[in-house]
Amino acid sequence: MKYILYQLKKHPLAIVGIAIILFWLIMASVGPSLLSYTHTAMDSENQMAAPGEEGHLLGTDSLGRDLLARIVYGSRSILTVALMTSIVSTFIGVILGFSAGYFGGKIDTTFLRGMDILMAIPPLVLSMVILGILGDSSILSLTLIVSIAFVPATARVSRGVLLTEKSQEYVSAARIRGESHLYIMFVEILPNTTGPIIVEATARFAYSIMMVASLGFLGVGLQPPTPDWGMMVIENKPIIAQAPWTVLFPALAIASLVIAISIFSDFVSKVLIHER
Amino acid sequence: MNRTLSIVVRRLGSLLATLVVMSFIIFMLVEIMPGDVAQMILGQSATEEAVTALREARGLNDPVLQRYGRWISGVVVGDLGESVYMQGVAINSILWRRVGHSLVLALTAFIMFVPLSIFFGVLAGVKEKKPTDSIVSFFGLATMALPEFVSGVFLITIFAVQLNWFPIVSVIPIGEGLFGNLNILILPALSITFVMFGYVSRMQRSSMIQVMNSDYVRAAILKGMPRNYVIFRHALKNALLPTITIIGMNMGWLFGGLVVVETLFGFPGMGSLLMTAIKTRDVPLIEACVLLITVIYSLSTMITDIMYSYLNPRIRFQGGQR
Repeated sequence: MKYILYQLKKHPLAIVGIAIILFWLIMASVGPSLLSYTHTAMDSENQMAAPGEEGHLLGTDSLGRDLLARIVYGSRSILTVALMTSIVSTFIGVILGFSAGYFGGKIDTTFLRGMDILMAIPPLVLSMVILGILGDSSILSLTLIVSIAFVPATARVSRGVLLTEKSQEYVSAARIRGESHLYIMFVEILPNTTGPIIVEATARFAYSIMMVASLGFLGVGLQPPTPDWGMMVIENKPIIAQAPWTVLFPALAIASLVIAISIFSDFVSKVLIHER
Repeated sequence: MNRTLSIVVRRLGSLLATLVVMSFIIFMLVEIMPGDVAQMILGQSATEEAVTALREARGLNDPVLQRYGRWISGVVVGDLGESVYMQGVAINSILWRRVGHSLVLALTAFIMFVPLSIFFGVLAGVKEKKPTDSIVSFFGLATMALPEFVSGVFLITIFAVQLNWFPIVSVIPIGEGLFGNLNILILPALSITFVMFGYVSRMQRSSMIQVMNSDYVRAAILKGMPRNYVIFRHALKNALLPTITIIGMNMGWLFGGLVVVETLFGFPGMGSLLMTAIKTRDVPLIEACVLLITVIYSLSTMITDIMYSYLNPRIRFQGGQR
């Protein structure tokens, strides 16, 4: 704990990042109860109201829906999906990467060829095509597809860290003791590799936000009436000249969250890897 | 040369495997999911018979494996088939112009972000831990994480809405070519530059720091050579290698980014074509776009790998001995 505080003092930017992340987490959990509008209520007398007008703090869109309410509700879905994606993709990545690196030989070769196939398509294109064909994305399908698109990256990192640990003496000791493969992989080796894996998972969190926002923007993310930050941008793009705030506020929301998370993940990697 | 050849063979093999697996998955997915292109062409009010007749005429009633076989044997001889939604227009006649547009956009972005990020990366690396470094590093960290459409929206608000320098949408007027309308390229290319700048400049910075601390660079500086000469003639040459790799690795993001940027600006490239194809469930068109994106992407990563081993004598000679 003392060590973390010391590190925070050394990296003041990280405090800003963490504060912004906390802000959005609080918004997502208690925000909706503080609002005077819901995300779907249409105020037909105040369409495209400018920020601050008629009690709409951030203004309204072309249907008269309160932008603040839509952004606050939207923070729930994007945070849920991105958090789940980074956990699921890291989890699958660790299992695949560890097994491939641990057993080696044919299993490893098959794994590497399989990852080559997945990696030949840009992750965004892969998830957008599959989600687009499946249609009607839910939180579950979005999480699963994006996680699959991210697995090559997470699995390769896990395989890499396992390979550096594999030749350690405690591994051979466990093997001589007659421990099972599973025990050695996940009870002996895993605790020694948490650093790089946590770093990878926090970096994944930033990528996930970026990916989920982009998919929402392309119209293959969560479907209406669930408000989605990315979708809000493309929905309101046609009126950007008349009502720029309808596009700017969701864009700023994405920007603040994603920049805060990458500052945070940069901090985590500095603390856990470089300065040990 | 040995190593280069083995890279090419391995990559082409996995590219071929990817294409077969991916195209098959797309056919099967469209098959099992609800939604029908014939219904979409004719509209919701169409009668059952009309839809069946159209499906018959377009060959959509054949078993999925038969259609897949027909499609893939066409692709082998260079015939990408016909678009279903656009009533049997040959895909070859619409796709290539779009691909050309996308490549010009990607190239414009490339010309912008490569020198820019290398320059600032070197600057930050040379001035490590000074204010210049902090500013460049923070800017890189921030832009790296921004999705293309977010930076695009900021750019549109400033340069198109407020200053009116560039158009809000990047459409080519009917009857005109892209080259008469080059100003529509600037904002989309800048949006891509933003994302790429982060990755490339950060990589350039850290490899520059590493090289600047190496013995041979110190020796050159202590020998009394001009600092700039050492930076550009001695250090940069070695510090560029990791940067080339990271540029190659991020070509994937660039092509994903193209889809996003083209959708935001309405730019007539292959990304926006793919988006339309997905929305209309036009299988041959989806297949053609995915095929092409995958091929271009794989070829560019392959070229990066070859360039890397060619530029790094340590790898080149090691490969020659084997």
